[in-house]
Amino acid sequence: MYKAIRSESFAAWAFMAPGLLFLAVFTFWPIIYGVPLSLTDYSVITETHFVGLDNFIRAFQDHNFLISLWNSLVYVLVVPVIQIISILMAILVNSRIPGVKMFRAAYYIPVVTSMVAVALIWSWLLGNNGVVNYLLLKVGILSEQVSWLSTSSTALYVLMFITMWKGLGYYMMLYLAGLQGIPADLYEAARVDGAGPLRLIIHVTLPLLRPHILFCTVISVMGAVRVFDEVYILTKGGPGTSTLTSSVYIFQKGLEQFNFGYASALGLIVSVMVAALSVLVFRLNRRGGVNTY
Amino acid sequence: MTTNRKGFTVSLLLVVMMSMLLAACGGNDNTAGTPSPGNTGETGAEAGKPVTLEFWTIALQPTFNDYFNELIAKYESSHPGVKVEWKDYPYDAISQRLLTSTASGKSPDVVNLNTEFASQLGSKGALLNLNEYLTDEEAKSYFEGIYNSTVLDGKAYALPWYTGTEVLFMNTKLVKEAGLDPANPPQTREELVEWARQVHEKTGVAGYAQQLISKLFPIDGIPILNEDKTAAAFNTPEAEAMIAQMRDLMAEGVVLKEDAEFSKQIQYFSGEQVAFQLSGPTFINFIKKSAPDVYKNTIAVTLPTGKANLRLSNSMDLVVPQKSKKTEQAVEFAAFITNAENQTAFSKVANTLPSSKASIEDPFFTQSDGSLEAEAKVASSQSLDKATDYMVGVPNAGDINSALARGLQEILMNGADIKETLNAVEKEVNQILNQES
Repeated sequence: MYKAIRSESFAAWAFMAPGLLFLAVFTFWPIIYGVPLSLTDYSVITETHFVGLDNFIRAFQDHNFLISLWNSLVYVLVVPVIQIISILMAILVNSRIPGVKMFRAAYYIPVVTSMVAVALIWSWLLGNNGVVNYLLLKVGILSEQVSWLSTSSTALYVLMFITMWKGLGYYMMLYLAGLQGIPADLYEAARVDGAGPLRLIIHVTLPLLRPHILFCTVISVMGAVRVFDEVYILTKGGPGTSTLTSSVYIFQKGLEQFNFGYASALGLIVSVMVAALSVLVFRLNRRGGVNTY
Repeated sequence: MTTNRKGFTVSLLLVVMMSMLLAACGGNDNTAGTPSPGNTGETGAEAGKPVTLEFWTIALQPTFNDYFNELIAKYESSHPGVKVEWKDYPYDAISQRLLTSTASGKSPDVVNLNTEFASQLGSKGALLNLNEYLTDEEAKSYFEGIYNSTVLDGKAYALPWYTGTEVLFMNTKLVKEAGLDPANPPQTREELVEWARQVHEKTGVAGYAQQLISKLFPIDGIPILNEDKTAAAFNTPEAEAMIAQMRDLMAEGVVLKEDAEFSKQIQYFSGEQVAFQLSGPTFINFIKKSAPDVYKNTIAVTLPTGKANLRLSNSMDLVVPQKSKKTEQAVEFAAFITNAENQTAFSKVANTLPSSKASIEDPFFTQSDGSLEAEAKVASSQSLDKATDYMVGVPNAGDINSALARGLQEILMNGADIKETLNAVEKEVNQILNQES
């Protein structure tokens, strides 16, 4: 028994236990508890009744919920754009140009800035008589001001841009770490065989980054579907339902209208959708990494 | 690897055990019979046993500490055996706080809520029906319009406390630039629109910014629901006309084409991007420090009412949650805070209006010393007797208001067809109403 306690793996588990405990209480338990909750009409302040699958049936007839699912799926379009741009940025920032470390820091600053501050600043930049409108009018791209966040055709894409702007640095750092794990002799060998910079990227860098691309894509997809902060702060789902994403809708149902049972059901449906998307991403990714060559 | 598995199993068991323990502690349902540790006899129905009332307010500490501490001391000395514990929370936190405390079985006794929230909770049965506790005289001491804003099915869920009605703030510099005379302000909504148009033409600045909310319908005499609250009633030609006019005004630039929240409206007025602002006297607090130049040029006059001659007020109320264990004392305390004498005193300190009829007779509310605050106060206290916090008054009012707001956004921001959108929203609202049975 003492041998077991003194063993390395026991120490490892002991160190992880507080973190696991925290996860269990604040992440796993609420998820598990959400399942029975979704079968009731719990609202804290009124009597709770068991309603079976009513919430789920209602969810699929709920016009606004279906719109929010669609908007969340559209939001996933931000993923390929972010990934491609961050890989390119990581490649650029990986070079030996003097002063490049400053760029690494600069690109990472949006990531560590509070989303509330970022959202507020963008709302001023994008507002009527804001800097963006001013510049575009001056340059002649626009002939009159556009209400970027109040026009349904642009609002969602503007939000996606803000999410992208904030998240690029994060993925860039992850890819940078991946790039620095690629053995330099592979590049040497390829150059000897006459490969130019573009072919180097396509045939050496990308295949060896595959595991990183897989990881980043999966968390990016999850983040895109679950996006909340920028949407809630800037548009609250409006105008109309053009920026109503699933998290915002669930929040409104649960914490603003106190339909916790219904909100739990919606949350479960969204989780299933995210899980399905993740499986899809895994399947689309063939094995890659350092063992490719 | 047996050691690995043992370590894993031990830790997993530990984690599962702890989470079960924590869940058991926090997972109580809404059973009222939770044993309360420590406190003295909670039934409180017998006189003589010391009773502690928990009193919650929104954003009143520390500014009004003196006023309340004095008031509470006065109450405690005249009601021996009753102690009042005063807690204060910011506006966004109070609903969460109330929820979590209700869920854990320790409900506060007297809570300060705005009418919308009080109406929502009342319709879900979470608040005490005050009609069973108040005398007729007490109930009639408040302005009817405001008092009835939270009466649903004959049950009164809130005691009105401090309130405010909307006034018209004008940036005199811009108004004069447009060739208009601020000493003769617009008397009707139509005149206000004309003024806004002229300001826009002569100065290029917009008239005012507006939030697209469901109250725009009743202001122009269009009811949201029918009399029995069983069906939507807003899909009328009058509604189409009202929305069409708003759309035209936005296209002209007379009204800013935006669903402007209060914070945005403050920005626009402070930045002199609009010449008028329609809101309560507390607006002054926001521009006084942040835009002193604009503050100097601002005056407040009575806001012309819309077609329905409806004076909308925004009231803060006091409610007693159903789960309170000291209901009699709680209602008594709430009635004390909202009686005429105390409301008058509070209004003087806080720059708000009282909701009790007797208070308004105090000359404080009709005399102006020329400052913007005084002007706004005088302007907003007129027609307080006709004021009402318009509430839809059904349990899913929040959903209905959202549907209407979204419909307005679709039409005015996204250019959707008015008739089609009104039809769609009507269908949605009727669906929402049907879900309540």
